[in-house]
Amino acid sequence: MTEYYESYTTVFALLAAGILLVAVAFTASRLVRPDRSYGGKLSTYECGIDPVGQGWSQTHIRYYLFAFLFVIFDVETLFIFPWAVVLGEAGELQPFMLGVMLVFLFFVTLTLPYEYKKGVLKWA
Amino acid sequence: MDVDQATQIDLFALAPELAVLGASLLVLLIELFLHGPRKRFVNPIAVLGVLVAFGFVVALWLDGAQRSSFGQMFVVDDYALAFKGFFLAVALFVLLISYRYFSEIRTFQGEYYFLMLAAFLGMMLMPSARDLVMLFIALELVSVPGFIMAGLRKFDLRSNEGAMKFFLFGVLSAAVLLFGLSIVYGFTGTTTLEGVAASLSAGEANPLLLAATLFVIAGFGFKVSAVPFHFWAPDTYEGAPIPVTAFLAVASKAAGFAGLLQVTFVAFEPLADVWAPVLGVVAILTMTLGNLTALTQTNMVRLLAYSSVAHAGYVLVPFAVVQPGDAALNADAFSAVLVYLFAYGAMNIGAFAVVIAVARRHPGRRVSDYAGLGQRSPGLAVALTTFLVSLGGIPPLVGFVAKLAVFFVAVEAGTTLGIVLAAAVAINTVISLVYYLRVARVVWMEEAPEPEPEPVQPGLALGFTVGGLAVVTVALFVLAPLLWGAADQAVLIASG
Repeated sequence: MTEYYESYTTVFALLAAGILLVAVAFTASRLVRPDRSYGGKLSTYECGIDPVGQGWSQTHIRYYLFAFLFVIFDVETLFIFPWAVVLGEAGELQPFMLGVMLVFLFFVTLTLPYEYKKGVLKWA
Repeated sequence: MDVDQATQIDLFALAPELAVLGASLLVLLIELFLHGPRKRFVNPIAVLGVLVAFGFVVALWLDGAQRSSFGQMFVVDDYALAFKGFFLAVALFVLLISYRYFSEIRTFQGEYYFLMLAAFLGMMLMPSARDLVMLFIALELVSVPGFIMAGLRKFDLRSNEGAMKFFLFGVLSAAVLLFGLSIVYGFTGTTTLEGVAASLSAGEANPLLLAATLFVIAGFGFKVSAVPFHFWAPDTYEGAPIPVTAFLAVASKAAGFAGLLQVTFVAFEPLADVWAPVLGVVAILTMTLGNLTALTQTNMVRLLAYSSVAHAGYVLVPFAVVQPGDAALNADAFSAVLVYLFAYGAMNIGAFAVVIAVARRHPGRRVSDYAGLGQRSPGLAVALTTFLVSLGGIPPLVGFVAKLAVFFVAVEAGTTLGIVLAAAVAINTVISLVYYLRVARVVWMEEAPEPEPEPVQPGLALGFTVGGLAVVTVALFVLAPLLWGAADQAVLIASG
C-alpha cells in the first residue's frame, strides 16, 4: 500500500516544481521590469488589432447541434480504434466481436437518417 | 468472468426486450414520414410492440426453464418474468392513456413513444439483471428517458422546472450509487449479486463497506422517492405531462423497487442487520411525511404525488423486517413487496387515467374541479372513487389486500421494529383516508360550479383503461389468493 502512495511522490514533486517555476518567473519579472502602464497597454491583446465587442458573445444555436453530432461520431471513432487493434488477435472470438460492433454501428448509423429527416444537417 | 460464457446469447430469453427495442426504433423512424395528425398512428405501433413482447413473456413462462445470457448477467426466471409481465401491462395502460393526450399536444410524438419504450426496455432488463453493472445500466436506461419526458411540455415553465430538478437529483443519485457500487466491488472483487452475497457472508463487516451498501440503497431510494430523496417528486409529477407522471409514479418506481429487491434480498442479505433498521426508519418517515403533506394539497396531481411518496413508504416496510439467514421470513417479506407493487400499479394508473380525462376540461387540475363529477360523468366518478378508496386500503378492493400483506409481514417478524412499523402502517392508513375521502366527497356531495361544465368524455382508449383497471382493482381483491400465489412463486432470495 505504501509503495502505491510512494509512486505519487513524482506527481507531487512535479506539481511543486511547476508552482515554483511560475512563482519565480513572475516575481523575477516584477522585480526587473519598469512599470509604465497606459490605456493601450492595459487593453486585451487580440493579435495586435484593437479589441472589438464584449468578452461575452452569443453563438448560434446551430453550433450546439453540430457539436453534439460531432461528439457522437467522435466517441464512436474512439470506441472503434481499440476494438480494431485487438480484433486481429481475437482468434475464435472474432465473429462475436465483429457482430457486437456491427450492432453498435447499426444504432449509431440509424441516427443519421433521423437527423437528416429532422433537418438538423441543413445549415440554412 | 469467463469469456466463453459471456459470449453465449440466448435470443429466446432476450425476445421480449428485443421486441420492445424494435418497436421503439420503428416508432422513431416511422414518425418522420408521417405528417400532421397522422403522427398519432405511432401509438398503435408502440402498443403492438408491447403486445408482442407480452406474448414472448407468456411463451417464456410456458417454457418454464431458467435461461441466462451474457454469462449470468441476464437471467430469466419466475421473478424476472413476473416483473416483466407487470411492466408490460403497465406499459400498455400508459400508452393507452397517452394516446389522446399527446395527439392533442401534437408535438414530439415519435420521440415521446420512443423514449417511453426505451424506459420500459430498461425496466425489463432490471429484474433480469443479476450483476451490479447490468443493474446500473438498467436503472439509467429507466432514468434518462424520464428526464426528457418530464420536460416534454417545453412551453410550460413548470414542466421545465420539474425536468431540471429530476435531472439534477437523478444525476446526483446515480453518482452516489455508482460510488457505492465501486466500493462494494473493491471489497468483494466481484460484480455478480450472488458473488457479492457469498463474499459478504464470508468476511467481516467493514465500516466502509456498510457505508457503501447505504450509498447503493440511497441511489435506489431516489428512484422510489423515499423520504430524504423525495424532493424532486412533487414538482416533477406536477410539471410533467400527466401520462408521464403516471409512468414515473408507477412504472419507474416499481423498477426502482425491483432493483432494490435484488440488491437487498440477494446481494446485501448478509448485512441486513445494518440496512434493515435504516430502511425501517426511512419507511416510517416516508409514509408519514407523504400522507401529512398530501392532507393540505389542493392540486389533484400534487395530491397523488404525495400519496405516491406515502405508498413508497408502505412498500419499504417489508424490507425493514428482513433478517440475515431467516429464509422463511425473508420470502414472506419479498412476496409482500410484490403484492403491494402489483396492486399499487393497478389502482394508481387508474387514478391518473381519470385525472387525464378530467384535465382535458379543467387544465387547472384543482381538486375543486371535481365538484359534481358524480352527476356529470357517473362512470368516471365511480371509477375514481374505486381507485381512491383502494389506495386508502378499504375492502373490498385490492389496496386492502396489499396493505394486509405488508401489515402481516411486519407483525410476523415479531421484533420491536416490526410492531412499530405495523402500528405506523395502521395510523398512516387512517391519515391517508382523510384526503382520499375528501376528494370522494367533492366528487359526490359538492355541487358543480355555475355554469355547469360539459360532461367529461374520456374517449375509447382512456375509457377502456379506466374501466379495465377499475375491474382489476375489484377482481384482484376477490382473487387475492391468486395474487399471493403468484407473488410467492416469484420470490427470489439469496440461495442459502
